[in-house]
Amino acid sequence: MSARDEILKRVRAGVGKDDFSARRALAEAYMAERKRGPQPTLGAELAVRFKSKAESLSSSVEVLPERAEAPAAVARYLTAGGFGLQAVITGDVAGLDWTGSGLTVAARPAVDADKVGISGCFCAVAETGTLMLLSGPETPATVSLLPETHIALVEVSRIVATMEDAFALLRAERGDLPRAINFISGPSRTGDIEQTIVLGAHGPCRVHLILTGTNP
Amino acid sequence: MSAAKHSQAMHFQARAGKEVRNAVLQRALQKAKPLFVGKRAKGIAALSEDKLEFEALRTACEDIRNRVLTDLDVWLAIFEERARASGAEVLWARDGDEICRHVVDVARQHGVTKATKSKSMLSEEARLNEALAAAGIRPVETDLGEYIVQLAGETPSHIIAPAVHKTIGDVEALFAKEHGRPVETRTSADIPAMAREAREVLRQHFLSAEMGISGANFLIAETGTAALVTNEGNGRMVTTLPKVHVVITGIEKIVPTLEDFATLMRLLPRSATGQSISNYVSLLTGTKQPGDSDGPEKTVFILVDNGRANLLGSAYQDMLRCIRCGACMNHCPVYFSLGGHAYGWVYPGPMGSVLTPLYTGIENALDLPHASTGCNQCGSVCPVRIPLPKLMHRLREEQVERGLRPWSESFGLKAWALVAGKPALYRWVMRRAARYLNWLADGSGSIRIFGLAPGWTAGRDLPVSSGKTFHELYAARKRA
Ligand code: SF4
Repeated sequence: MSARDEILKRVRAGVGKDDFSARRALAEAYMAERKRGPQPTLGAELAVRFKSKAESLSSSVEVLPERAEAPAAVARYLTAGGFGLQAVITGDVAGLDWTGSGLTVAARPAVDADKVGISGCFCAVAETGTLMLLSGPETPATVSLLPETHIALVEVSRIVATMEDAFALLRAERGDLPRAINFISGPSRTGDIEQTIVLGAHGPCRVHLILTGTNP
Repeated sequence: MSAAKHSQAMHFQARAGKEVRNAVLQRALQKAKPLFVGKRAKGIAALSEDKLEFEALRTACEDIRNRVLTDLDVWLAIFEERARASGAEVLWARDGDEICRHVVDVARQHGVTKATKSKSMLSEEARLNEALAAAGIRPVETDLGEYIVQLAGETPSHIIAPAVHKTIGDVEALFAKEHGRPVETRTSADIPAMAREAREVLRQHFLSAEMGISGANFLIAETGTAALVTNEGNGRMVTTLPKVHVVITGIEKIVPTLEDFATLMRLLPRSATGQSISNYVSLLTGTKQPGDSDGPEKTVFILVDNGRANLLGSAYQDMLRCIRCGACMNHCPVYFSLGGHAYGWVYPGPMGSVLTPLYTGIENALDLPHASTGCNQCGSVCPVRIPLPKLMHRLREEQVERGLRPWSESFGLKAWALVAGKPALYRWVMRRAARYLNWLADGSGSIRIFGLAPGWTAGRDLPVSSGKTFHELYAARKRA
C-alpha cells in the first residue's frame, strides 16, 4: 500500500465516520460561508491606528497629503540616514518622479548589493500595523526582503481594519492567491542570543512608511 | 515506532539530575523565564484594548482545530486537491525515514548540493540533517537559534527559542570557530554585532542554496496554501530564493479557511512571544508564476503521519490541536528547572511530556508523564485549550494498566493501601515514620540526602515535620 493510502486509511479509522461525500459537502459549505472569529473593535480611525501600531513595531512613519510628494520625502529620509540615494523599486510605484528628487531608482528584482528597496503595498492592516504585499511580475518579493532599508508607500484609502478585511479585498480584486502573500510588520528581528531583541536579523534592518492621502 | 530509536526519553531522571546541577544552564533558564511569562501576559492583556476576550478567542481557536480533526480525511482531501491544482506536488510520509527519503530524492532530482532550512520541528523528528549530510547535501539551519544549535552539534531545547540554553559566551565560541576568527570577550552590548555576523554569513547561504526546506505553521485547505510565521525573515528567504521549496508538515496542521487562519493568528504570536503579530507572515501557494522573478519553480509538500493518525479518535485526540506556540513550556516549573534537553526527544515541556510517549511509545518514555507538579499552568495558558495535565494523567493510568510501572512502586502503593485501611496500624506506622524522619533531619528541619529516594533530594532538600504526626498535632490542638 502506498504511504498516502496507508495514512488516509488510518485517518479514516480514527475519524470513524463513513459518509464522506456528505461530510465533504458540509466542508465546502463551511468554506463558502467565510465565517469570522471574534473581531476587534478598533478605537481610533484606521490611519491613526495603523500609524501608532506600526511605530510600536519599530517602523518609522511619515504622513504626507499627496503621493506625488513621496519622492522628495524619501530623498530627505535617505539623506538624513546616510543610506545613499540609489534604490531598487517595485513597478507599482516606479511611475512617480523619483529622478526629480535626486534618486536613482531601478525597477527590477533586488540583489544582495541593493541597499534600499522601495515598494507599494496591496493594502495595510490597521489592527496590527501590517503591510500586505503580493508577489508578481511587477512586485518582486525580493525588494522588501534583501535590502537593509525597506521603504513602503501606503495609501490611506488602502488601510483596512483586519486581516480578514484584507482577504476580502484580495478576493474581490484578484480572485486567486498570488504565489506569495507577505504580511510585513516592521523590521526583521531576533531574540535568539540571550533573549536580547536585535533588529535586522535576515530581512531589512529598518522599515520606513510613507502614508499618503486621506480617507475617501 | 521508528521515532523511538532517536529518543533519549528513558534517561529522563538521569538527565534531569545532571541539568539541575548545571549552573550555566540554570542561569540561562532563570534569565529567560520571567521574560517569556511577562511578554505573554502583556500580549494577552492587550487584547482587551480592542475589546477582544482571551477566552472567547480560545474557544474559537479550539473549535477551528476540532472542526478539522473530526473530519480530517475530508480536509486532507481538500487540501491535497487544491495544493496540486495550484501547481505544487504533494507527497506523504509514514515516518521520519520516509521524510528523509523524499527530501533526498527531490534534492537529487534537482541537483541540490546545499539546502537552507527555516525551522521545522518535523525535520527534527526525522533527523533530516543527518540524512541530508549522508547524501552529500549540506543542510544549513537559518533561524539564528537553530544555527547556533547546529554549530554546537546539538538539538533545540525549546520549540520557539531553540538556543535558550546557550549563553553569549557559548555563542561567541561557536561563531569564532565556524567563522574562522579568534574568540573575543563579549558582553550583552555585543549581541547586535554577533547577530550581524551571523546575518552576513547566512546571507551567502541563502543566495547560493538550491533548495529551501521549511515547516508550515498551518496548511490552509481552502487555497492549498502553506502559512509560515517568522520574525527573522529566514522563512521568507528560504521560500523566495532557492529554485526548490520543500514544506514538511504534520497531517494535523490544516485549517479550513483564510478567516480561520486570521483567528488563530490573534493567539499564536501572543501566546508564543507576546507579539500582536510576528514580523513576517507568509502565505505560500503553488510555484513561481509566469513573469515572476522570484519563488521556487518546484514546490513539494510532504504530509507526515509519524504517529499522528493513531491519536485520532483516541483519548489523546485533543493533543492534535497543538499549534506549537511554546506557551506551555514557558509556564512550566519543571521545564524551567531542567531545560529542554532533559526530555530526551524533539518536544520538551508539557506538550513534549504528552507527545513523546505517544509518538515514540509509552514504554519508551515512562518518566515524562510524571514530569509535572500538577499546577495546571500549562493547561490554563494553552491557546487551543489542550488539557495537558489530564492527558499526562491518562498516560500514567495507561502505564499502570499495561503493567509498565516498576514493581517497587506498585508494591509500595499496595502496602500503603493495606496500612491506610487499618486506622490503628496506620497511626502506629505514621508515628514511627515521623520520628525517623525527624531523627534523620537531626533537628535542622530538612533532610539533605534521603536514602530511600536519593534522586528526589538531588536538587532540593526534603522538609520534615517536627516529629509528631498530623493525628497527634490535631488531637493536641483540639485539647488546647
Ligand atoms: S500544547 Fe498548547 S500551549 Fe503547548 S505548544 Fe501546543 S498549543 Fe502551545
